[in-house]
Amino acid sequence: MAEMQNENPTILNAADLPTRLQPTATSKGEYGGIFTSLPLPVDFLESAPTSDSEDDNLLEEPIDEQEIYDLISSISDPEHPISLGELAVVSLPDISIKPTLPDVPGSPLQTVTVLITPTITHCSLATVIGLGVRVRLEQSLPSRFRMDVRIKEGTHSTGDEVNKQLADKERVAAALENGALMGVIAKMMETCH
Amino acid sequence: MAQITHLSDLTPPSLERTWLTAPHPTLPIVATCSSDKTVRVYSLTNFTLLSTITGGHKRSVRTAAWKPHITGESVLATGSFDATVGIWRRWDSYGREDGSGLKAAGTTNPDDDKLDGNAEEDEEEWRFAVLLDGHDSEVKSVSWSPSGMLLATCSRDKSIWIWEDLDDGDNNFETVAVMQEHGGDVKCVAWHPVEECLASGSYDDTIRLWREDLDDWGQVACIKGHSGTVWFLDWEGAENVPSSSSAHVDTALASQWRAQTALSGPRLLSGSDDRSVRVWRRQPKESQMASQSSSAATGIPSIIRPTGTDEIWEEDAVLPHAHELAVYAVAWSKRSGLVASTGADGRIALYEERFVAENQDPDAMDIGSGEGVLKTEWVLIAVHDGAHGIYEINHCAWAKRADRGSESGEEVLVTTADDGSVKIWTVQR
Repeated sequence: MAEMQNENPTILNAADLPTRLQPTATSKGEYGGIFTSLPLPVDFLESAPTSDSEDDNLLEEPIDEQEIYDLISSISDPEHPISLGELAVVSLPDISIKPTLPDVPGSPLQTVTVLITPTITHCSLATVIGLGVRVRLEQSLPSRFRMDVRIKEGTHSTGDEVNKQLADKERVAAALENGALMGVIAKMMETCH
Repeated sequence: MAQITHLSDLTPPSLERTWLTAPHPTLPIVATCSSDKTVRVYSLTNFTLLSTITGGHKRSVRTAAWKPHITGESVLATGSFDATVGIWRRWDSYGREDGSGLKAAGTTNPDDDKLDGNAEEDEEEWRFAVLLDGHDSEVKSVSWSPSGMLLATCSRDKSIWIWEDLDDGDNNFETVAVMQEHGGDVKCVAWHPVEECLASGSYDDTIRLWREDLDDWGQVACIKGHSGTVWFLDWEGAENVPSSSSAHVDTALASQWRAQTALSGPRLLSGSDDRSVRVWRRQPKESQMASQSSSAATGIPSIIRPTGTDEIWEEDAVLPHAHELAVYAVAWSKRSGLVASTGADGRIALYEERFVAENQDPDAMDIGSGEGVLKTEWVLIAVHDGAHGIYEINHCAWAKRADRGSESGEEVLVTTADDGSVKIWTVQR
């Protein structure tokens, strides 16, 4: 790898990060008898996508900001073996979920907005990090969610440029077919639950 | 108001994202481009799959266009994320097996028997004719010129290529021009319906127009009106006239409209990431020349000054706001004049252009005495939410209706979505 963009990033203690994932692992046993077959939110998040996406869309439980955070905070930084949560590249207050079409009652569409704070303002890896977050969300969330992954205002020298790329569906789709780029993204996701 | 009614799905659908569905210019068939690297050819008569074109592209097929003005054979151009453009050919025989026969009466000739006997297998297949190599990255859009002689292709590499189909029986294409003025991905190209004028929309937020001048293709206009990527363009039909509420003045209005718009020609429709749909009109050459000569003050008649081919394009209208997310496609019906738009919000919107009574006061009408300029307004006549359920809609196109029970002149809207589904809609006004 070439020279590092940021050799000494500030790192948060993993134990201090907000999460809902750990305790749920043991809570499964509390459910028994006839309830075992019911889909639980924890099942939805942790199980591999064995059921087809149509079922996921129908049976899903409400998804909140904390669950979005848990999905993306464990992604690794492309140049440090440290998670985006620990680097504070993503943080809970910078995630929001809003109805996509507030004027359409009953519309299932929701927009997930994730603001990314790069560790340094000229980080050229911002696009890769943003793409990783967008891909992780696209692969984990039901199709009714629209992704809005952006660089937090004022935290990056070419933020608008990066944002335009991340919002471009066609470019994202083409990136997913680019082997080299997807290799980098896959590596970042190795640490995801 | 109007009603959008679901007529049918095209079955079986692609299991992966579909990007665009191109209706054939004359036959009741469409070609759907899929992320699974194939193109599916469906019937608009019974809405089922006729053929799957495979093996030509190594990545998603993003776009396709049918070559116009050829008989007896269909020619399809496809553009892919693999940076290549494919040309495919097939003898027209769809529909023969069920006896309905798509071939026009009187076109049978003695050679047909020979073909049927010798090459029946081949005849059922799409023949891969040639791969056009030149772009450096994903091909986003392809478009045939109205004559079918020229093919325009565009790419993320910011360039537009114009190829000439030499029609030499050997599938040779010659590169006529490469235009690189755009500052970002060129998302779409669309030829003027009658002139050899090409329009392109880009990631650089501009629309540009291109013409050939003394053997050289060059930019004649750059429209900076959208504040986001221009995803799609379509042209007004050459004979289009807006709708009017009172039927008896139709012919008079229509001829006045034609006279008024003759110099500027068909308008251009655009849809953008900025959520808006806009209409652009070329400033008539005469008034353009007049304004140029008055400012130039050279004393040389404007007609012989080397003014070049520059054109001025003005915003004619911003259509009523209908989309909350990016508009990915717009379609201007050549039959009804209706405009459809669709996009990431999963919504289909329909708009109608209507004549506006200049002034209801009869005295004012007298003053105008036929000299007045006809004005129009765009009305949002239908919105259909969740047209493909929760999925984003990537494309919409108008096609001639062809299923059993339909009347001649009827049209359908074809929409193409992220889940691989393609839906056919009718519109009741």
